[in-house]
Amino acid sequence: MKIYISGLYSGTNPQPGIGVARSLRAAYPDATLVGVEYSNRCSGIHWADFDELWLQRPWDELNLDAYAAEIKEVLDAGALWISGVDLELMWLASVFPEGHRNLLTPSTMALRKISKPAVEAHVGLPVSIPTYISTETPDWELHAFCRQHGWKVWLKGPYYEAVRTASWDVFERVRTLLARAWSTERLFLQTHVSGYEESVCFSAYRGELAGAVYMRKRELTEEGKTWAGDVTEVPAEFVAPLKQMVRDLNWTGGAELEMVRDTGGLLWLLECNPRFPAWIYGSTIAGHNLPALLVESATGVPPARTQTPVSEEFTRVVLEVPVRSQFPLPSLPEPYPGGIGHSLKHPSGTLALAERLHKLHILESNGNGNGNGNGNGNGHHAEPDNVTATIPTVPSSFIADLGAFDFAEMETPSFLFLESTAAALFARAAGQAAKLTSETTKVTNAYSIKTNPDERLIKLALESNFLAEAISLLEVQKALKTGFKPEQVILNGPGKWWPQGLLPTSPIHAVFCDSLADLRRVVASVERKELQAKIVGVRLRTPTVGSRFGIPVYTPEELEKLVAAIGTLPTDSAFGIHFHMASSNIGVRQWWHLYESMLRWCRSIETLSGRRIECLDVGGGWFPDDWQTDSGDQFAAAVARARQFLPHVVQVISEPGKAMAQPSTALAMRLLELEESAEGEIKEAVVDGSIAELPMHFFQPHRILHRDSQTGEWRALGRGKTPLLGRLCMEHDIVAWNVELPEGASAGDLLVFCDAGAYDRSMSYVFGRG
Amino acid sequence: MSLAEGNELREVNETDLVDVGGAMAKWEHFPASAILHHGKPCCRVAREWIFSTDYSQLNGENPLTGPRWLRLKYKWGASVWPISWCEAVRQKTLDCGALASMANEVFVMRGVKSYPAQFIQQYTEEATRHWRESWTDGNASDHWIKDDLIYHEGCAVVVREGEIRLWDASAGWWMNPKQFGGYGGLVALRVFAPQAEFSWGAHRIAPGRWQRIQNERQGLALASAG
Repeated sequence: MKIYISGLYSGTNPQPGIGVARSLRAAYPDATLVGVEYSNRCSGIHWADFDELWLQRPWDELNLDAYAAEIKEVLDAGALWISGVDLELMWLASVFPEGHRNLLTPSTMALRKISKPAVEAHVGLPVSIPTYISTETPDWELHAFCRQHGWKVWLKGPYYEAVRTASWDVFERVRTLLARAWSTERLFLQTHVSGYEESVCFSAYRGELAGAVYMRKRELTEEGKTWAGDVTEVPAEFVAPLKQMVRDLNWTGGAELEMVRDTGGLLWLLECNPRFPAWIYGSTIAGHNLPALLVESATGVPPARTQTPVSEEFTRVVLEVPVRSQFPLPSLPEPYPGGIGHSLKHPSGTLALAERLHKLHILESNGNGNGNGNGNGNGHHAEPDNVTATIPTVPSSFIADLGAFDFAEMETPSFLFLESTAAALFARAAGQAAKLTSETTKVTNAYSIKTNPDERLIKLALESNFLAEAISLLEVQKALKTGFKPEQVILNGPGKWWPQGLLPTSPIHAVFCDSLADLRRVVASVERKELQAKIVGVRLRTPTVGSRFGIPVYTPEELEKLVAAIGTLPTDSAFGIHFHMASSNIGVRQWWHLYESMLRWCRSIETLSGRRIECLDVGGGWFPDDWQTDSGDQFAAAVARARQFLPHVVQVISEPGKAMAQPSTALAMRLLELEESAEGEIKEAVVDGSIAELPMHFFQPHRILHRDSQTGEWRALGRGKTPLLGRLCMEHDIVAWNVELPEGASAGDLLVFCDAGAYDRSMSYVFGRG
Repeated sequence: MSLAEGNELREVNETDLVDVGGAMAKWEHFPASAILHHGKPCCRVAREWIFSTDYSQLNGENPLTGPRWLRLKYKWGASVWPISWCEAVRQKTLDCGALASMANEVFVMRGVKSYPAQFIQQYTEEATRHWRESWTDGNASDHWIKDDLIYHEGCAVVVREGEIRLWDASAGWWMNPKQFGGYGGLVALRVFAPQAEFSWGAHRIAPGRWQRIQNERQGLALASAG
């Protein structure tokens, strides 16, 4: 019996070849085991269980047709082939569309049905699929997905690799790297599931399950790979659906269902690997030799030695083995000048194989390319390609407001105030506050001046019954100048007394102390009659909140000091508590948890200090879409919860922050220059805008409109291959990485970056203007 | 443990070699640890801080999530008993009784049913000698050590009707219901709960009394090294 085994890489993210060889050697001591590898850099070629080695040139050098013929010859001669490389077995499935009795790998149909992330074949198994979205959807929606899931998301390649992307800039960087590495834009984002990792590993031949085990990871490497585990029988509820799945797929070969069990006990399927896992010898140690069962099923030859169980638990060690004399170690590549390390990843040319298979459309037929659409674990496969789905939706009010501008005379870059859009946002917020106000609790909006100090917005806030929230006395003065009265002003932040001498003499609405020192200053100012405020309160900084603002309660001592300090606050003012955290940074779900957490802290403080909390000031930093989506029942429930925890609250102040300002302003810029490739594609374009006008570019996407110079029509730009380079002589001044400029786009064309009305506007800076 | 005899490995059930019965007798009348409340603001502040912090730390996850943050905040070590809430929260180190008692209250405050649980675990005489010296240096009692066995405390958390999981608040992990004996192995368990019986993995646990934990490895055949 001769068995070819591929996938011998034995680094920190090992392939299964060594484990398969050890298992087969244990069962078939006289079999000839042939190790197949594509680089002499893979240390597994030196493993002593291999009787022979079939060392091929790396995938980028291999002649695939000739190699396919050689493999056919080997199989026809009676040898078996067990593949440990995902891309290799996808290619083999295309080489042998009807299969081969000795090729112990799954078919193209089976591979398509287990392709990530939907894993269509999972239906029937007691598992769910974590929510995911294709990166082919517009950036605007990808950002929304990340916010919705608290930035606990993984960006995953179509075959290998998953990288946690905790912020927009990380996501953009990793997307570029993965797309380049795997020669495809078809990546996907998937939500993280906290829990313990478990696997079901099985082997099957022509739709009949030969054996299966259940493994719980007990130690993991830093990369999350198995280092130790325990192996037991597959749970009863898994057996029947697993058999059915194997039958439906007519599965041949090994496979592993990788799962996470969450705290509530639910199983989430991350992926189905179409091969044995690298820990497969751990299963053999436990008495379940799945590779041997596969060989027995395929050949009818029972193992010469039956495996007796040694232990249900296994672990790994690091071993040094002698190098085979005929395969001496290759030289270490020269580090790149100025580089760090030797760039030894993928020595067998896996990336090159991916590129070649894409060109041959083999991966698409395996289903791995078809990742468009999104899913929520219902098992339905993705929608087919749809060009329009990649273009973001731009609100019609934006387009209507743009009609008010005379672009022919406009110097660019220039901020555009979208008047009706802004008015509608404030009107909606005002209506919402009125709706949420009850007999016992008044709900009031407050406009955060720092978000965008444009007088037109401050005036809209005044007309919409907002309070004005200021973080400096200069901002207070601006609010007063725009028409606010002192009793409509909230003073907040660590530098609220700057600059001296501008504090209004009549009472303001509220002041919130940012530290205990600030609190002492407020108490002293009130005693000296310098400061008068209807509400005097504190800003809280609770545990797990990464913030420099507010009074921390990280330790019991800090809580005790805060409680004591609250006792010194003037009793002729009401007491309030403020908290602020940008939901766009921490995610919507996290924000609501933080709100609940804050209510508990408030209740504790009220109980311990004996001081009634009459005002709750809630800062949001809401992304506009989230604020509008959640503005109904959830806000009503939030007000009800505030009353439930804090029965003396008479006012809830909501600061929607950038939800008001961001959509209100856009940035117009012009194309200055377009660089075309030899094929006529626009390689890159230079614009007269820059990151000086779009400093939030690194934190959020902007929807971009192009104006047809002939018709004046606006068209939203989808994802493409053209980077838009800003006018500044700064390397990172790239205002968009991948856009698709319309055919015929030329220098002088107008682009409008929407969603630039919040910190893009207020934090824009002067640079390169002379 | 495997004893080499010639070319064969003979599997020995280690719990047969240790004095589990003696240990259960030694700790028969040990109550589960409880932190005192002074009935004054000092302890009220401490408890409010613990519970509010726990909710913050839970981060919106399932209430059955183990409060591992307690172990991050407090190093495991000797505590001097009796101890009150206001004293306990200010310590740098807490022993298993204090950590388990805190964790138990935290689970209950989350709305999860949780009961005090006592464990007898096997280590080695080297380990227990080291602990004995550390506890003596800290002027704390070493009554929790007997030969290579230790008395330990945790929480029996009800995850479903009649089913518990055991939270080891000192280690910050759930104990494996599949016990294989040996170093760190759980050899006996006692849960203080009003209910008649619980399941813990394949074990049936009758509350209120010490009971031995069966070793899972007994069912496996022996491996030959020959």
